[in-house]
Amino acid sequence: MSQPKLPPQLTRLLLVTVAIVAVYFAARHFLVPPSFGQYGWYRADFLKEAAALPTTYAGAAACAECHDKVVAKFAKSKHKGVACEACHGAQGAHADDPAIKPAKITDGLFCVRCHAANPARPEKFPQVNVAEHNAGTKCGECHSPHHPTEGL
Amino acid sequence: MNVFKNATRRQALSALGRVAAGLAALFTVKHVKAAVQGAVSTPAPKGYDPTAHQWQMAIDVEKCIGCGLCAEACKKENHVPKEPGYFRTWVERYIIKKPKAGAMVMHGEVVMARGETVVDSPNGGIGGFSPSAVPKPEILKSFFVPKLCNLCRHSPCDQACPVGATFRSPDGVVLVDWKYCIGCSFCVQACPYGCRFISPVTHTAEKCTLCYHRITHGLKPACVEICPTGSRIFGDLKDLSPSNPLRKFYENRKLQTLKPHLGTEPHVFYAGLDGEVR
Repeated sequence: MSQPKLPPQLTRLLLVTVAIVAVYFAARHFLVPPSFGQYGWYRADFLKEAAALPTTYAGAAACAECHDKVVAKFAKSKHKGVACEACHGAQGAHADDPAIKPAKITDGLFCVRCHAANPARPEKFPQVNVAEHNAGTKCGECHSPHHPTEGL
Repeated sequence: MNVFKNATRRQALSALGRVAAGLAALFTVKHVKAAVQGAVSTPAPKGYDPTAHQWQMAIDVEKCIGCGLCAEACKKENHVPKEPGYFRTWVERYIIKKPKAGAMVMHGEVVMARGETVVDSPNGGIGGFSPSAVPKPEILKSFFVPKLCNLCRHSPCDQACPVGATFRSPDGVVLVDWKYCIGCSFCVQACPYGCRFISPVTHTAEKCTLCYHRITHGLKPACVEICPTGSRIFGDLKDLSPSNPLRKFYENRKLQTLKPHLGTEPHVFYAGLDGEVR
């Protein structure tokens, strides 16, 4: 009884198929990152990469570490709750290296940005008509931004 | 059972040699695999467990003054292109006009309570809003609405992504893996809230990440940090302490989401939202 033999063309086809499947699994094995599927259908390591980006804003807690006096005064004022960096701009670089000095704020643009009268603003929010409210006078001449009602 | 019982010395040695070669091959495969994966992904700092948090942002519409500092801070913090049109967060102004004189009454019945609604967002609100978009006597009601990614539980952008680059993380943030994103912009079209764009710099999809690089390091997102009126409330839903601002907000306010009829289950809750807001 002779063993049934596969025709050579089928043997070759079978070998090619096996090779393709093997290449596919080998590529998958090497290319799919190990963290893929840890939490879901994505690369979990990306969470660490996204978390490792540098920050630009330092946050109010970092300001209070050195500028405790002005922060304490500020906390008693009407402006309490407003972040330092809302007016002073992003100070991450200054917080990392105090030698980098932030630019001084010399104009009243920041005051107007929030306090210029606008019908879309909540009614309770203090607003002034910039053209009428002591026109020609700088805001800072009457109001200290760190305590706007002080001395009034 | 002894496999080498009937083997010659030559056969035994060659068998041992093959086993050694096999082990060496396994060893090299491991190293090559590590090298390839090292090139594809980078290892990063430890100490933050994404499964231990559930970050959320909420918006108090009644507190927003439309200063636009949030949109500006977002651009600075996340290096979003300065040109108008690229925003991860922005502020819209809604102006609901009074109904026109004739439209108010028809057949002796009052038929219209409100007039036309005008929405604008000049440069996303960066630089503020001029007070004169509509003459004041014509305005019935006007307010600002800050917008950002709605952190949908059933996010359409996530479902549209053909390469698995965008996903909802275990800590509740919808993110885009910039190494996987091919910039096809299917997600940009899929988002019903217009929260995504293709960056002209990286040519990948970008969106609000809740400042993932900040919140994982104990900082607030830049927009929340900068908001002068506390219109943006941020917190961790898994933080059960009574001082958690988010929990307080959820307990005390009546909340709504944007476009709830779409079934996207947004997780950015708005308080004081008018039905006119889309």
